[in-house]
Amino acid sequence: MSDTPSHEAGKSIFPKWIKGPEDFIGGLVLMAFALFALWASRDLQGMHGFSFGAGTAPRMFAGLLLALGFGVMLMGLIFEGPPLQKYHWRGPFFVSLAIVSFAFTIRPLGLVISAFASFMIAALGTEETRWMEAIIVGICLTVGCSLLFPYALGLPFQLFPRFMIQ
Amino acid sequence: MADLVHNLALGFGVAFTPINLMLCLIGALVGTLVGVLPGIGTIATVAMLLPITFGLPPVGALIMLAGIYYGAQYGGSTTSILVNIPGEATSVVTTLDGHQMAKQGRAGPALAIAAIGSFFAGCVATVLIAVLGAPLTKLALAFGPAEYFSLMVLGLIFAVVLAKGSVLKAIAMIAFGILLSMVGSDIETGASRMAFNIPELADGLGFATVAMGVFGFAEIIRNLDAGAAMSRDLVQQKITGLMPTKKDMLEAAPAIGRGTVLGSILGILPGGGAVIASFASYTLEKKIAKDPSRFGRGAIEGVAGPESANNAAAQTSFIPLLTLGIPPNAVMALMVGAMTIHGIVPGPQVMQKQPELVWGMIASMWIGNLMLIIINLPLVGIWVRLLRVPYRLMFPSIVIFCAIGIYSVNNAPVDVILAGAFGLVGYWLIKHDFEPAPMLLGMVLGPLMEENLRRALLISRGDWSVFLTRPLSAVLMATAAALLILAVLPSLRKKRDEVFVEEG
Repeated sequence: MSDTPSHEAGKSIFPKWIKGPEDFIGGLVLMAFALFALWASRDLQGMHGFSFGAGTAPRMFAGLLLALGFGVMLMGLIFEGPPLQKYHWRGPFFVSLAIVSFAFTIRPLGLVISAFASFMIAALGTEETRWMEAIIVGICLTVGCSLLFPYALGLPFQLFPRFMIQ
Repeated sequence: MADLVHNLALGFGVAFTPINLMLCLIGALVGTLVGVLPGIGTIATVAMLLPITFGLPPVGALIMLAGIYYGAQYGGSTTSILVNIPGEATSVVTTLDGHQMAKQGRAGPALAIAAIGSFFAGCVATVLIAVLGAPLTKLALAFGPAEYFSLMVLGLIFAVVLAKGSVLKAIAMIAFGILLSMVGSDIETGASRMAFNIPELADGLGFATVAMGVFGFAEIIRNLDAGAAMSRDLVQQKITGLMPTKKDMLEAAPAIGRGTVLGSILGILPGGGAVIASFASYTLEKKIAKDPSRFGRGAIEGVAGPESANNAAAQTSFIPLLTLGIPPNAVMALMVGAMTIHGIVPGPQVMQKQPELVWGMIASMWIGNLMLIIINLPLVGIWVRLLRVPYRLMFPSIVIFCAIGIYSVNNAPVDVILAGAFGLVGYWLIKHDFEPAPMLLGMVLGPLMEENLRRALLISRGDWSVFLTRPLSAVLMATAAALLILAVLPSLRKKRDEVFVEEG
């Protein structure tokens, strides 16, 4: 919000006639989303008589998004704009991995293992993590969550792996 | 008038039971606790804490949620003032003068005036809701589907005009949001739309899931870009002297009054709300100040005005929700989600059928604000210590907490994965300078818009001119069109950009 975007210094990989790559690519991707939505709603029923079918509104708004995406792309083509911002892979990758691993382990392995493992994976998201510290905080967090959610809030959480309970 | 007193009395009767007071206090505390964490705004806080209200009775749950909402907002201002990291859009302007005040060793008065301003604004807004609630409910009866649709279009256009950056991109985000809202079963025919036979998608994309993704996970990922050792400008001086001096109060009082009026008006408009109110109030204060150069250097009006305005707006934004059933912003949409879980459908009927619920919640907002004043000033020291926790430890904790929160909404692992996917989408949007807030608003209003559009066209036998021939609808549409034209006119654009440049 208040930070200045970290624009990639140096040469742009885009040809000169694309003046604002950020908007150009942004518009293109939105158009792709719109086309995908059009494809996904292709076999829904359209208008019958005066009334909308299930597919009318999705197609209508997908069409609108397609047009708007085209507009944004055109703006990127015509007007001088910022270059693409730099992407980092480490943060997004490990945070996503932590989320996915949580989703896959919460049912079979229970909250304790799942939360702790995901915590450690997420902690890989930056090279500044100090391991001892992270392990201690991870354990505290796991204990805290194991008390908070199932006991204090009474939500149905399984704490330990299924095979250990049975 | 008798009605008004009766209603408020009923509300306070409900809210003043020990258990509800307790829930309000816990909500305000927890809300502040999470809201203080940098990079977690009100929306993510409310989404994250939704599950903790599930086990409560409806009134208690809503009271606690209202507490969380206020707490989160106040926590956001605390972070803005102490660390110069706005927790969310509404407190962006607070950083301008608030942090400067803190640097001059006046963090105490800045925090106090924010709380006092919010409280005053809250009092006024509470009365306003009570006054306007009943007549607006009657107005709602004059609203047909065409009017509803036009009103929502107006609300969305408002959000576009007053959002920062490109108008075209903001409209594109709204269309994207509306499209996302159409995933799942069609309301009328029950046909599965764009759900790819994934059973968890049959009910549509969960609003909390998407909100957590674009506002929670995306924000974390983006913060990691800058390195976990984010330069945090935490005020190191010891905070002494919490209470503002008499001079402070005298300077701040008119600003609080103006902020309250401005916020109350802007809050009622759908799509308007707290963000715009705080920006508008800051601009106003700067315009009418005798010495505008003080702003940005620790002017107390620059904290008092916007903080009152955003709180007034936050509160009056309940009016469209309670009377018309239209959630005017993302937080309200989360509230709707919570109400639906408890079997309450917001709209004009709730006011009549479950008055104790509505008035209890309204009264508890007032109490929540009062509690914030009482509990937060002594607790400032704790918040400061919390802000010293390094981000490298904070972010994995937030990730896990969010994941558990999302999972517990439906006990569905797929929701967690979807939120993660929306985190990546949100990250991409930030990188391409698309604002996620209009997208979320589009997603919130999407189902209502579609339903009313379909109904309006069915009634008019497919005649699109119905939106322009019904007088009320025509006025709303004309206002929307005028706003849009004004927004793209170069002169106003320049002015608008000036307002937003100040946050840089």
